[in-house]
Amino acid sequence: MRFEHAATVPTNPDRLWDFLMDIKAVGSCIPGVEEVREIDADNYVAVQRIKVGPISLRFEGKMTITERDREAGRAAMTMEGVDKGVGGAVKATITMSIKALGPNESQLIVNTDAQVLGKLGEYGQPVMRKKADSIMSEFAQNLGRRLTSS
Amino acid sequence: MNRFEYHAPKSLNETFSLLSEYGDDAKLLAGGTALLIMMRQRLVRPAHVISLGRVPGLSGIKERDGELTIGAFTTHRELETSPLVARRFPILATTLRTVATIRIRNMGTIGGNLAHADPALDPPVTLVALDARVRLTSKSGDRIVPLDRFFTGYYETVMESHEVLTEILVPFPPPHSTATFIKFLPRTVDDYATVSVSTRLILDESGKNCHDVRIVLGAVGATTIRARQAEATLRGRPATREVFKEAASVAKAEVDPVSDIRGSAEYKRDMAEVFVRRALEQNLASLGGGH
Repeated sequence: MRFEHAATVPTNPDRLWDFLMDIKAVGSCIPGVEEVREIDADNYVAVQRIKVGPISLRFEGKMTITERDREAGRAAMTMEGVDKGVGGAVKATITMSIKALGPNESQLIVNTDAQVLGKLGEYGQPVMRKKADSIMSEFAQNLGRRLTSS
Repeated sequence: MNRFEYHAPKSLNETFSLLSEYGDDAKLLAGGTALLIMMRQRLVRPAHVISLGRVPGLSGIKERDGELTIGAFTTHRELETSPLVARRFPILATTLRTVATIRIRNMGTIGGNLAHADPALDPPVTLVALDARVRLTSKSGDRIVPLDRFFTGYYETVMESHEVLTEILVPFPPPHSTATFIKFLPRTVDDYATVSVSTRLILDESGKNCHDVRIVLGAVGATTIRARQAEATLRGRPATREVFKEAASVAKAEVDPVSDIRGSAEYKRDMAEVFVRRALEQNLASLGGGH
């Protein structure tokens, strides 16, 4: 399943880019992310908890940055998270692009192509999609707050 | 399935004590038709399961103060075959007959169905159309929540972990009113709906205009959806096919389905429009209009 989220962030593209490349800082803006560990500049491992009603998931996963193009304001990454409790996984390819909207305003567009695998897939597809919406909107708010205050 | 401790309290008070002791580690068990599947899939892994099976006073269908009161532990099958339901709410009996299979209807309870908050289930659609409310009981007392404000998301409701859904209240229908339920099932009869629709039409005294309308849809969003804008389009307008068509196209914009094995999101939106229109036409036909 594919989805696109867009957010307006109160800062210029350069600052937004720098912030987005600080993966640990980005992780702290994503709801449910408990831990981000750097393996090297392009590879990270992370843990994220997601709760949907009575269903609690704990994804352990890795993330690899596959493209960084500062000039074009474009970055891409792949993610793979496994929940051992349920026996399911989410794989995603995420592309981010930044556009200037004004001197102190940028637009962040995030395109996600995700697959929900295993037992999660049966129940998971629509649920994960809605959850992705709420995670993204909370992420956008946190991002805005962080970039305004710092 | 993961290991869990099983509790079978014999009163609501005992249930409340267990709930306050175990909090989010506990799940209430009624008929078990939904919870056990999720537990077997290990999607839900409660450390404590509290069965309501031995708590007295939670079942039964009664008439009280101009309302139907349904104990939350009443099974789908009991409701479906109740003479009182058949007489006053034939729509509810019709809806229940479409739920899964008879074996599941014999086990699954109506309170469990609502508390499970799966947006693809059928009874919530009709119960919202009938203006039902639920009684949530806790140690500190009761609160009554209209069912259209009960669901908040996939498997999520306004219910707190210390509360028990104990009763469903359905007001007797006003005069000049009729309700319809349509479950669109293109695959197999025991499948989840691709789209389900329940509409209730109340005509004014002239019998020609829509006084009030409820339009409710299932399986096309994160919750049971009440198409309020479509309802507003109809209020006070003539009950005609043209007006219904207009309302159905408004309802189409109020649903938010996702693509799955039952069809693409686009297809489900189209079907929502088609079945809202048909349900309203059936309402009118059963009130003797639409010729």
